[in-house]
Amino acid sequence: MTPDSILPSLAYITIFPGFLFLAVYGLYLQWVDRKLCAVMQNRMGPPLIQPLADFIKLLAKEVIVPDAADSRMFRLLPFFAMAAVMTAVISIPVGAHALCSFQGDMVVVIYLLTIPTVTFFLAGWSSTSPYATVGAMRVLTQLFAYEVPLMLALIGPAILAGSWNLTEISAFFAAKPYLIPTQLLGFLAGIIALQGKLERMPFDIPHAKNEIVGGQFTEYSGRLLAFFYLAIDMELVVGAALLNAVFLGGSLGLTGWAAIPVFLAKTLAITFLLALLKVLMARIRIEQMVNFCWKYLAPAAIIQILADIVLKYKLG
Amino acid sequence: MTELIKEEKIKAALEAKFPGVISNAAVQRKNRVWLDAAPAALPEILAWLKAEGFEYLSTVTGFDEGENLGAFYHVNNNSMVVNVKVNTPRAKPEIPSILSVFPVAVSYEKELEDTLGIKVLGLPPGRRYPLAEDFPVGQYPLRKDWKTEDYLAQQAALKTEAK
Amino acid sequence: MSKITIPLGPQHPALKEPENFMLVLEGEQISGATVNLGYNHRGMEKAAESRTYLQTMYLLERVCGICSHSHTTTYITNVEELAKAEIPQRALAIRTLIAELERVHSHLLWLGVAGYEMGFETLFMYTWRDREQVLDCLELLSGNRVHYSMNTIGGVRRDISIEQKAEVSRRIKFLEERTRYYIKIGTEEPTVAARTANVGMLPPAVALERGAVGPTARASGIARDVRKDEPYLIYDQLDFKLITHNTNDVFGRLVVRVLELVESYKMIHQILNNLPEGPIAVKVPMKIAPGEAVNRYEAPRGEDIHYLKSNGTDKPERVKVRAPTLANLQSVAYMLEGGWLADVPLVIAAIDPCMSCTDRASVWDPKKGKMALYGWEEMRKLGIEHYKKRGVNFSGL
Repeated sequence: MTPDSILPSLAYITIFPGFLFLAVYGLYLQWVDRKLCAVMQNRMGPPLIQPLADFIKLLAKEVIVPDAADSRMFRLLPFFAMAAVMTAVISIPVGAHALCSFQGDMVVVIYLLTIPTVTFFLAGWSSTSPYATVGAMRVLTQLFAYEVPLMLALIGPAILAGSWNLTEISAFFAAKPYLIPTQLLGFLAGIIALQGKLERMPFDIPHAKNEIVGGQFTEYSGRLLAFFYLAIDMELVVGAALLNAVFLGGSLGLTGWAAIPVFLAKTLAITFLLALLKVLMARIRIEQMVNFCWKYLAPAAIIQILADIVLKYKLG
Repeated sequence: MTELIKEEKIKAALEAKFPGVISNAAVQRKNRVWLDAAPAALPEILAWLKAEGFEYLSTVTGFDEGENLGAFYHVNNNSMVVNVKVNTPRAKPEIPSILSVFPVAVSYEKELEDTLGIKVLGLPPGRRYPLAEDFPVGQYPLRKDWKTEDYLAQQAALKTEAK
Repeated sequence: MSKITIPLGPQHPALKEPENFMLVLEGEQISGATVNLGYNHRGMEKAAESRTYLQTMYLLERVCGICSHSHTTTYITNVEELAKAEIPQRALAIRTLIAELERVHSHLLWLGVAGYEMGFETLFMYTWRDREQVLDCLELLSGNRVHYSMNTIGGVRRDISIEQKAEVSRRIKFLEERTRYYIKIGTEEPTVAARTANVGMLPPAVALERGAVGPTARASGIARDVRKDEPYLIYDQLDFKLITHNTNDVFGRLVVRVLELVESYKMIHQILNNLPEGPIAVKVPMKIAPGEAVNRYEAPRGEDIHYLKSNGTDKPERVKVRAPTLANLQSVAYMLEGGWLADVPLVIAAIDPCMSCTDRASVWDPKKGKMALYGWEEMRKLGIEHYKKRGVNFSGL
């Protein structure tokens, strides 16, 4: 690699759309989400600076590691979660191209996005307290519920575009925008599965506060907790970006600076849908969640795949 | 009085069923019957009342009348309340448990033991209720000779000792 | 899977007052539950013995933050029975009015708590916003939002004016409309149904055996309501239905409570329209002749029973209070066993254990950079403007 290519790559990883952008935009989306929910629930909602203030406040708090926990693993887990999310963004096209684009990067992104969930499980499990243990078990149970529908939902557009490359899939839909509405069923399945992945209402079962207090994060405090929360915020951005790239044609063919407003608008729209889901429903039980995902969500995604196969055959 | 037929009927039936065990039975007003009972016959009386439709034990009120400690058992059939009073000597306060008739009474009976020091025969051991875990054993706050001031003075004395 | 024992309380986000549940879990299912109480014993029964009858009334008002009127009414009914006082009809009607407003306030609060415990925060926010209307009614009538202190021995403290009547019935009409919406949400929203149906089952036989009271018993099909069984105050002159439901679960308790709201609105209108004229209180002597009395009262949570013994002085000899929650807690252990961990908070909340609320707020104004204590009118204005922007107009109230 020449210096010419290293510098932009470094900027891509650290500034845009890498760490800095993810962190800032993640906090912003958290605010948007909270504000939207507040407005829908007839409340005031937090000021813009609130997520950042929460983050800084948590950074200043004391970190307490339980005696029974494996201290090193307990401390490293939040950073694993964050690192995995940030790695995933390298392959997701925010503008017209991703930094590291290759055939099959969609599968890599899906698996990178599974790592935070695994760290949540390990975090709960290694805390050894009863609430955290129950939370950890729920994290894992829930993972098996939403992961398959999410994967299936993403396969549909990939089949239609005939590629496992996120950049190519989004380019395909950008070139043929009239095909985007055909993916509605898969998109909805994807949104619901993403809600489960982000552990938001009605799927916030692993850390349902009135049942098991803080769930898998019960024993976490201070900056470790802050980084876990930041990782979840980043995951929201990456998840929205992934759905955008797969279902909504990414930047719609625009390149350079012009792509950014499109990206922001579409991720905000996805956040709005996620907030709507959060406000409209009561938290369901873990066994209802598993039932729902396997009985309705996975079949919906499969129907989308079949439709896409037929569609591809028709289009030639 | 004509409008108290139901009440008089229950009273008469109780007196006929448990002669010598029941005393001072009285109809106070509409829907209120009071009676005194010998402690030993208490579960039997309540079982009979339960069979007669008095299925619901509202609560148990413990009391201290100087010579005697005791308790009221307020049972009702939704509209009429029968208050069964049992006395037990202060020197050796004992009342049989009624858990076999009203399982719901467990917290009420614990309350009798904890606040009045009435031994409830047949009550399974368990965590104390309703007093705090660090409340001194052997002190019964609802007895008339238990004075709050004495208790506070005693607590203060304990604190100075600790220092 | 191995068994885990999880302590729920005495301090836990789902519990608003200290009580403790030890839950034995097998995976997500509960195989055993024990209830431990007594974290909040305040020695009120002892304290009552060293106070005069009137002082005891104010003490008993503080037994519970929500059914404050229930406890004082039961207590003074006992006192007045022993003193053989004839209470004027108007006073009884006002007591009944406050009692029903209290039931409305308590049931709306419960609906919000239930929403919160099942993770439906929107329902929580909505019901608590609307509950402000009934709290405003209570403040208008009594001067207080929570501890109304409307009762006094021999009658009530305050009369009701024509303007107040009109204001209360206007607000209640608004609430009637909102309640129709909640009935719709409660019975039609699929996730609410999923979370409440067949949860916390309490078959009628068990409810009888364990002495369940109030909406908990009525949701198991037991028609037990002191207002019907042994009418006190002026309930024998009012036209209302005894609501029961036969699903025996949390859903039934929800339905019973929202339908009882409708009945309460009906009663409030009846009382307001036919408020008898006359004095609102009679004089009762300080010293009460020796005697004993037992009285029952249908609090929002169920039967409240008080025993009172007088000894001829101005202080009671013995006061016994049994709040409905204690009677219902016996059923909770049964309801929890075999259920899911996720349902525990909801099942506990479904019997509506008591809790307290606060009043007034101080607001930090970032523009002026100082702490401003908002008065009632200013806060009301702020609130009305805030909701106007969101399309809900409260200014007509």
